[in-house]
Amino acid sequence: MIGELIKILKITVLTSKNSKEIAKKPWKLNSIRQTVTFASSSSPVTTTTTSVSPPQSQILTTRRSLLSGEITASEIAKSYLSRIRLTESHLKCFLHVSDNVLKYAQEIDQRIAKGEELGPLAGVLIGVKDNICTEGMPSTAGSRILEHYRPPFDATAIKKIKELGGIVVGKTNMDEFGMGSTTEASAFQVTANPWDLNRVPGGSSGGSAAAVAARQCMVSLGSDTGGSVRQPASFCGVVGLKPTYGRVSRFGLMAYASSLDVIGCFGSTVADAGMLLHAISGYDRFDSTSSKQEVPEFQSQFLPMDLFESKPLKGVRVGLIRETLEEGVDSGVRSVTQEAASHLEALGCVLTEVSLPSFSLGLPAYYVIASSESSSNLSRYDGVRYGNQVMADELNKLYECSRGEGFGGEVKMRILMGTYALSAGYYDAYYKRAQQVRTLIRKDFKAALEQNDILISPAAPSAAYKIGEKKDDPLAMYAGDIMTVNVNLAGLPAIVLPCGLVEGGPLGLPVGLQMIGAAFDEEKLLKVGHIFEQTLKGSSFVPPLLPNVA
Amino acid sequence: MATRALLAVISSSPNRCFISTRRIKNQASSAFSTSPSLHFQIQSRKTHRIAPSFSSDTNSSALQPPDVSRLAETARISLTPAEIEECGPKIRQVIDWFGQLQKVDVNSVEPAIRAEMEGGNLREDAPETFENRDGIRDSIPSFEGTYLKVPKVLNKE
Repeated sequence: MIGELIKILKITVLTSKNSKEIAKKPWKLNSIRQTVTFASSSSPVTTTTTSVSPPQSQILTTRRSLLSGEITASEIAKSYLSRIRLTESHLKCFLHVSDNVLKYAQEIDQRIAKGEELGPLAGVLIGVKDNICTEGMPSTAGSRILEHYRPPFDATAIKKIKELGGIVVGKTNMDEFGMGSTTEASAFQVTANPWDLNRVPGGSSGGSAAAVAARQCMVSLGSDTGGSVRQPASFCGVVGLKPTYGRVSRFGLMAYASSLDVIGCFGSTVADAGMLLHAISGYDRFDSTSSKQEVPEFQSQFLPMDLFESKPLKGVRVGLIRETLEEGVDSGVRSVTQEAASHLEALGCVLTEVSLPSFSLGLPAYYVIASSESSSNLSRYDGVRYGNQVMADELNKLYECSRGEGFGGEVKMRILMGTYALSAGYYDAYYKRAQQVRTLIRKDFKAALEQNDILISPAAPSAAYKIGEKKDDPLAMYAGDIMTVNVNLAGLPAIVLPCGLVEGGPLGLPVGLQMIGAAFDEEKLLKVGHIFEQTLKGSSFVPPLLPNVA
Repeated sequence: MATRALLAVISSSPNRCFISTRRIKNQASSAFSTSPSLHFQIQSRKTHRIAPSFSSDTNSSALQPPDVSRLAETARISLTPAEIEECGPKIRQVIDWFGQLQKVDVNSVEPAIRAEMEGGNLREDAPETFENRDGIRDSIPSFEGTYLKVPKVLNKE
């Protein structure tokens, strides 16, 4: 009987006409809400809107509108700030909102008035994960030990964004030092998922993902050590792009696991994520792991839909990773992924199934490597040169108390596990062995990517789950990273984009499709991703904002 | 960054390492009873076999389960008794789960320290002046003149 019950929920949603409006004019949102009745009963959820136009790049829209004089940068900034004010008490995406957003927007308006050249990101409002250093702005990585810390320099990615005219809106919430998959491990606040305020936004870059989903900013930066950009992108229904290891300088990114960490990008379209990646990519003398590989001009991949051929992805070889659709993956996620694969076939792709025999080994290998490297990297937080200090009568006590009070539970746990794995005599059994497994994983991916142009899988085994659901069960939490960690171990680029909805929340919950490419071939991922996104029929992936605010 | 510290661990770690088969079996059974939600472990249910290269040494010490208090001391983190009680079982659970790596045949597989990448990107190892000295100094909890100030240094060892 209960199964037959159809829940009628009276909620405030955006109608399809209005979502279209948002796509075109991202700054106009809060004036266009209306109350509708919505029925939800089956899984996966069929679309709630009938005809939805494909999402438009907010970066390009902003640029066009500024250059045509249709709107000023200040007006855009004001509308975003007011949306942050309206939604932030529910969502808690930001740990800090900049006081200078309007000032920078006015500077851009002055440049326009003088007819000066505008950078490609002029007026673009960008959220920044709190583990990326921003000069003079709090940068805490979600940790008490860095509460009130203001770095004396900008991360290279931030420096580049500012040079191109981008405006940092604020610092987004995250699991402390990136250690978590829900953003619940932030020392300061729990971020809610804009699709259902009772659910997690994913993590660790949950604040950056939720902020883009709620249109509190146009694009945002995150970091991805084991899926921290891609999994929250999937949970929040936005695009998440993890570049190749070495593509983006990590100078100014607080290190968690140096052999895996990358800075990644969020946007509400593939084009936005790609253009943001282009802005921050390239060799940096301050990061010896950054690559000198040429950064292609991605923008030419983002053709408007009317220029697509009838089979725009003709001949593109797509490998569906068999191990990602086996037991342990929610049935709704499985069927949405299968549908996405069919959609790629309809676009002309040649679809085959591929096997990565080492796939399941990635999870324990990843956690050994990440914990071990974190135990070394986080030794810098000792309360002496910056961050919170707990005074003691002796130096070792000062370290121990500063760290004991400064770090949260998950961080302590991972440092201790890493300390164990790196102990004399245990190194071969854990860290070295995990690195040997990394070699196996790399080889499997290499073989699969010789047969295929891209590989696809779900971005996570489930859609967003309830806040608190997995908080006290580390292994259940870690299991959710199975789809993403292998890509970090192999250092490959991957993009996650929303491809469907499953049951849950007032409007359904988004599911992300992960596309994995060969090293330094982000271009192909962006091309396939853009065409997939623009031709996907059905949902607009605009969350049901603010059900409680009239 | 981390690499230097890790290399230090490599050089100080003895090349011999022995794992008792009994211990591994215990690890395996407890790892798979703890979390039914981890479906991805199914393939690992077989009894662990120790790769020959791994157990051949006779001059050896067994892998001990983690002693949380000692680890906390090594990592310079003070933990309350309640914290030790809370995180101890979780840490043991995860370390047990790491145990599944022991059954993987990695004979003659080279370890990969990170993703493949081109070398030669090191800059010249020469000091450079950082302009925003005041910005750095503002973050120091306690200093006197040009010195960081810390309490007395006791060497217990």
